[in-house]
Amino acid sequence: MQNSRDLMTATLAFGRMLRGAGLQVTVSELMDAVRALEVVDVMDRSDVYLGLRTVLVTRREELPAFDRCFDAFWTFRAAEGQGLEGLMGPTQSAGQQGEGDSASGSLETAGRKEAALALEGWEEEGADEGEPMEVPGTSPQEVLMERDFSSFPSDQLDEVARVTVLIAKRLARRVSRRRRPVRRGGVVDLRRSVRANMMKGEFVELRRRERRRRKVRLVLLCDVSGSMDLYSRFLLQFLYALQNVFGRVETFTFATRLTRVTEHLKGASYRRALRQLTEVRDWSGGTRIGDCLGEFNRGWGRLVNRQTIVLLLSDGWETGEPDDLATEMLTLKRKAGRVIWLNPLLGNPSYEPLTRGMAAALPLVDHFAAAHNLASLRDLAGHLTLR
Amino acid sequence: MREEIKNIQDLMEGADYVTDAAIATSVHLAMTLHKPLLIEGHAGVGKTEVAKVMARMLGTRLIRLQCYEGLDAAQALYEWNYPKQILHIKLEESTTHSLEDKEAAIFSEPFLIRRPLLQAITENGQPPVLLIDEIDRADEEFEAFLLEVLSDFQVTIPEIGTIKATFPPYVILTSNRNRELSDALRRRCLYLWVDFPGFDKEVRIVTRKVPGVNERLAREISRFMESLRTVRLSKLPGVAETLDWAQALSSLHADHLDEDLVAETLGCVLKDPDDIKRVKRELDASGLKRFIPLDG
Repeated sequence: MQNSRDLMTATLAFGRMLRGAGLQVTVSELMDAVRALEVVDVMDRSDVYLGLRTVLVTRREELPAFDRCFDAFWTFRAAEGQGLEGLMGPTQSAGQQGEGDSASGSLETAGRKEAALALEGWEEEGADEGEPMEVPGTSPQEVLMERDFSSFPSDQLDEVARVTVLIAKRLARRVSRRRRPVRRGGVVDLRRSVRANMMKGEFVELRRRERRRRKVRLVLLCDVSGSMDLYSRFLLQFLYALQNVFGRVETFTFATRLTRVTEHLKGASYRRALRQLTEVRDWSGGTRIGDCLGEFNRGWGRLVNRQTIVLLLSDGWETGEPDDLATEMLTLKRKAGRVIWLNPLLGNPSYEPLTRGMAAALPLVDHFAAAHNLASLRDLAGHLTLR
Repeated sequence: MREEIKNIQDLMEGADYVTDAAIATSVHLAMTLHKPLLIEGHAGVGKTEVAKVMARMLGTRLIRLQCYEGLDAAQALYEWNYPKQILHIKLEESTTHSLEDKEAAIFSEPFLIRRPLLQAITENGQPPVLLIDEIDRADEEFEAFLLEVLSDFQVTIPEIGTIKATFPPYVILTSNRNRELSDALRRRCLYLWVDFPGFDKEVRIVTRKVPGVNERLAREISRFMESLRTVRLSKLPGVAETLDWAQALSSLHADHLDEDLVAETLGCVLKDPDDIKRVKRELDASGLKRFIPLDG
């Protein structure tokens, strides 16, 4: 039978394994897990599973990873007929097994990684350092601003990146500074009014208050399929910058499936972010915008409400069914405060949004704009507000 | 299964709540570890029910805080009874009490309105069940405030002092995932994801809650709902919809499903015109078999 020390060791080991699988497990949660194991039947697999799950999982998305870990952890010793003792000892091998899985997964994509070299060669450090706060868009940069992303020589990329970050910062300032001016109006604040008038016996002056404006949330969906290659490295830089200057941003990339990259873009330097991105990037050909949006609507719909601006960066080359795209766009539009579609091809004067996907989606977009050069990103400012 | 968990499950079943081991285990842990339990799941899967049943099981009071956009501390915790304070000031106008006395008088217990959180903290006798319903509807600021209250179950009212709970409540939070909750809040809570019930569980729920439905109809309804939830719909129907539908079919004296009946009553289950259109189209194209395969 277990004593609590063994339970502790086992639980800590299991916690390490969960961390390896990407769950964020804190020490206090592990302490709770130990306590939980003391009040369930530790010889009953289902009891142990449900008990640990209740304590260590904090969101639905973590359930599959938790299940995998638990299976691996339990199975090892269960085969030797040792019940919960399976929670001890085998961690090492089980943990390695888990890692092995992910390693083989990345091997699969290794071949494709060569394609990512272009992206990696484009890393830059400028974003990490404090840049001079000059306003982008003034004369020496004007040439840069108007130039199509696809035509930059590689030696100017650093400069472009720097300006991109500046633009993102400026956008962020604009959005967050927008507060409704507090005029007369709002509701009477009785609490403060009572206090202010206590000696007067009458309500001589009323104190008022007004609800603070709700903060805007940004959801960014960036097409990284082959047809976007020339642009996506610039746009990803832009997304990275937005992610780090706005407080509330969720970022996804898509081609044939959707990948949430919010965590990859957070904090770390752009170099590291990019390296992580190339690992998760979906390297298969084709773009299934409708399916990816559907995946987003069903899995992440809760991120979108009236306070959300959804920014879609794509050229609209849909290889799936345009009808599906239209359905999903409609679902998205119904929930979101504003849907903006940025299309790099729109920078070309002769381009008309005639691809079937684009044509299907266009009526459902609040704002349709170019994203082919820095100037177009800068002009976004006016549209990154809810109304 | 541990005896206590089995007991909880039996008690919940006894209180007409069809449950499973996962829910019973979470409730057991919430009570023994005395930690808040965060329940997430689609609308209409019976999240709120858990708290109600828990209160009934414990024979204690259920205190409910319904969250909404703009909910603030004054609505959730306490507020002064302003009209009463104003009246009191007027009545005291001619007296010679000092300002300090006047102030002490109007900022004392009789002038305090206890909102759900304060009620839960000051409950006497035994710990109540505090249900914080649809926390995802409240603002992030409120979530932060709530976190503070949940961490030590004490509240400071500047005019009165600090009140600490003698019987810390059992806390159940529910969320429909309309908004992502903060990690800090999630860390503090036990977690339970309530999915749509499986086929067998749904059959049990239907037969338990809608007595007029026979076994065959209950199975057909549940099978239909199960397939329906795999269709790409903008709003997936929950158990509440299943029960509405079963109720409707029961009052139509139906004993099995056929295509016409389904087409006529689809409005009980689907609340979005596009969804209804979509399902009707599939019904026309491939019949009821598409939704009720094999099982009779």
